[in-house]
Amino acid sequence: MTMQVGQEIPALVKHPTTRQLVQYAGAQGDFYEIHYDQDFARSVALPGVILHGLLKAAFLGQLVTDWLGERGTLKSFEVSYRGIDVPGRPYRCRGKIVKVDGPKIELEVWGEDPDGNRTTAGSATVLLNE
Amino acid sequence: MATTSAVDRLRSRIGHTVAPISATVEAGHLKRFTEAIGDPNPRWNTEAPPTYLVALVPASMHLAEAEEYGKGWLNGGPVRVGDRITATARVAEVYEKTGSSGSLLFIIFETDYVNQHGRTVARLRGTAIRR
Repeated sequence: MTMQVGQEIPALVKHPTTRQLVQYAGAQGDFYEIHYDQDFARSVALPGVILHGLLKAAFLGQLVTDWLGERGTLKSFEVSYRGIDVPGRPYRCRGKIVKVDGPKIELEVWGEDPDGNRTTAGSATVLLNE
Repeated sequence: MATTSAVDRLRSRIGHTVAPISATVEAGHLKRFTEAIGDPNPRWNTEAPPTYLVALVPASMHLAEAEEYGKGWLNGGPVRVGDRITATARVAEVYEKTGSSGSLLFIIFETDYVNQHGRTVARLRGTAIRR
């Protein structure tokens, strides 16, 4: 397998729905109303309900584990929230290799909305199997 | 802008841990979680995907008026169905940064997740910002 700095990994496009936000609220145990109550979300100056930051982190986790498969182990993973995302708009997860050090590969990962805004940014380190 | 007393109060909590919380990774909960994130990988029938531990044990100490900024995971080993995980959270760092929009207070939480064999399977770092 060739791993080259600058190489993009296959993008993952997710299609979040309000149903998914409720599913995630239940699975995570995060019942903050901005994720499922439209009136409440608007009352705190949001355009409507928004995606959980951790749901977007999970999408980026899937981006990396889908690409990596059984070829190695995810050693570290980090995300920061830069903007909001709303259900009904596709969420595109992307990543590229930024460093190759033997079996250790560092990736830059990010999630972008349909306008190309990077609303989540992060990094991941994987260790390839010997 | 954060008041000095708020900074001092938070700093006084550095290193302070809350009571550890334990939970068992159950197949049913793991299935609901992977369905919720929409990841169909069959590997997650028995193993936890990268962000799962935050859903298993509520990780960070909640802080009023602070907003979530990000999370980072350092993994020490796989987490599987049946594992008994104990999470211990603490305030790790508190610092102020002054930018163009004023002063921001950064609060870093750390949570260690240890399995039934005493192995640290993950360390989570959560960052919250108070404006």
